[in-house]
Amino acid sequence: MSALHPIARNLRDRRFQGLAAASVLVAATFLARPLPLTRDGLEVLAVLDITGSMNVRDYVSAEGRPTSRLETAKAALRDLVAAMPCGSRMALGLFTERRPFLLFTPIEVCGDFAPLDGALASLDWRMAWEGDSRVSAGLFRSVEMAASLGTDLVFVTDGQEAPPLPIGREPAFEGKPGAVRGLIVGAGAYGLSPIPRFDDRGRETGFYGAGDVQQENRFGPPPADAEGREGYNPRNAPFGSGAATGTEHLSSVREPYLKSLADRTGLAYAHLDGPSGLLDPLRAVATPRALPGSLDIRPFLGAAALLLLLAAFAEPRLGVLRLGLPRPGARPFFTLKKV
Amino acid sequence: MIDAVSRLGVSTPWVLWLLPLALVPLVASSQRVTPVPAIAAAPSDGASRIVGCMLRTSGIFAIAGLVLALAGPYRHGETVTRIGIGAQVSILVDRSGSMNETFAGRQPSGEEESKAAASRRILGDFVGSRAHDLFAVTAFSTAPMLVVPMTDRHEAVRAAIAAIDRPGLDYTNVARGLAMGLSQFGVQGASISRALLLVSDGAAVIDPRVQGALRAEFARIRPNLYWLFLRTKGSAGIADKPTGEDTPQAAPERHLDLFFKSLGTPYRAFEAEGPQAVADAIAQIERLERDPIPYTEQRPRRDLSGFAYGLSLLGLLALVAAKLAEADFRRGRARALSPPATEAPQRRLAA
Repeated sequence: MSALHPIARNLRDRRFQGLAAASVLVAATFLARPLPLTRDGLEVLAVLDITGSMNVRDYVSAEGRPTSRLETAKAALRDLVAAMPCGSRMALGLFTERRPFLLFTPIEVCGDFAPLDGALASLDWRMAWEGDSRVSAGLFRSVEMAASLGTDLVFVTDGQEAPPLPIGREPAFEGKPGAVRGLIVGAGAYGLSPIPRFDDRGRETGFYGAGDVQQENRFGPPPADAEGREGYNPRNAPFGSGAATGTEHLSSVREPYLKSLADRTGLAYAHLDGPSGLLDPLRAVATPRALPGSLDIRPFLGAAALLLLLAAFAEPRLGVLRLGLPRPGARPFFTLKKV
Repeated sequence: MIDAVSRLGVSTPWVLWLLPLALVPLVASSQRVTPVPAIAAAPSDGASRIVGCMLRTSGIFAIAGLVLALAGPYRHGETVTRIGIGAQVSILVDRSGSMNETFAGRQPSGEEESKAAASRRILGDFVGSRAHDLFAVTAFSTAPMLVVPMTDRHEAVRAAIAAIDRPGLDYTNVARGLAMGLSQFGVQGASISRALLLVSDGAAVIDPRVQGALRAEFARIRPNLYWLFLRTKGSAGIADKPTGEDTPQAAPERHLDLFFKSLGTPYRAFEAEGPQAVADAIAQIERLERDPIPYTEQRPRRDLSGFAYGLSLLGLLALVAAKLAEADFRRGRARALSPPATEAPQRRLAA
């Protein structure tokens, strides 16, 4: 043992070996190239309902002010764009009347963030071209549109059909359920709220009253319970003689209806709880799209080097780690610490 | 200098909480501890002090460098404004249903191209043909729709143009469309060349009440106005006078043209009856809109972790060298009874 050359002895010291290994690891960071990987990205068509009932202010903003469903949905979509991994893409459409209107085909969410965010920010109910709100028809066509673009679908609506659907006869979905994956997002609170009304110059003039909207759809055959209604006459008054009453002039999120639509189209349903939080429910159902990514391996090398380095410094203090050469007779009675 | 520092950042800041570990070399050493009977055996000397100090500094550098590198230091990207040749172009596209017909007024079949598909193809080539143009896209039918705000991201603009041959909506409400198309220019300096490009296959009456407001907007922004009129075969052209009364209702195209001419801004109308004519018109617009325009160039952020690893490697190499040069005082004496006195200031010191 004692015949060993000092350098050879040093080479066998564990602390030397640790430091040398750390140096090799750090030197390796200069040669390490990022590992090519594939990450999961998203490709979605977002279709936003901009019909009148989306103007209902039943959300509360961060400052505590009432906020409309449309503003909250816009904020949630902007949050979604910011949260999506780079390389994901989003197309945007509007829904009103009975069909979606495509504003643009998918745009990349990082490089083209500014125009995408600007487009989302400037969405307005005034872009609507007609007042009807045939949610089911709009949804079914949005599914077709997403299929033609090859994307998943995020359809944000409150589910209020205007005019109301005939009782018991809901339009059938003709596509293949589940062929397009995605999310129906129900916007609105669960309680009823009045719907703001605007004049032809876009100024708010109050709220819709019970007599301003169609409360019942009286096209087509009457519902099964019509015979029991007051003044029922099969020829002259098949829907009964009384005026239709209801709460169609008030609005809440029609969750059971949206869930049934989701079942029929093979989409998932999520409630919009606030101006964020769409990424997780979307991720759960969306088709993962392989995106080229890369993994920087230098932090792993660096972290290992740091551990080795700290161990080399701490070794004499941590007796259990003392793995160095046995030192017969090296019983320290005095330690020269510092000169 | 302050500017340079303020542009530094790290991607995982919490790692910096490990920085106090860099003080470990002040209280511990990687060198071997050698017991000596008396401290007087190793008199203090300057060289030893310097070596000890260097070893401690090396340890601090090695640890601090690694912690910094793990935090992912970078220098922020910067935005540089330069002057190029181009224009701000606000594209205003008619998305009414008739745009999906061919120039012959039929549903497209086989090889035929609808007006929307032709304008999609040709506008798509126009966007991005010059690097420094800024574009905004507005669509209009019954209501105007802001599709993409003014941007230099040509991919996004092309995505917006790719959507224009989707089924259109009902009517042509050109007045509101013009107002939104103008609003896309923003409030930047008037020195920039601005062009409003209206692509439509028809016209509509502009409400006299709105005309005044539109005139004022045109006078304020003063864009060069281009109207690309996709004329369907057999329908009235821009210059055709109706046989009956010459009212805006009877000949909306002619009266829209008259309205544009009365604005006092540079204005040109292109009547295109086929895809080739559309391409010619676009090429002409491209030639006309050649003015200096400031554009911003984004410089990517720069990864600085290489420097931190380099710093750490310097420290580590010094520590490794010191470790290699280390000799056991006691062992050395046991081996050769008289160790040279000058052999190891370093080892005594760093013990």
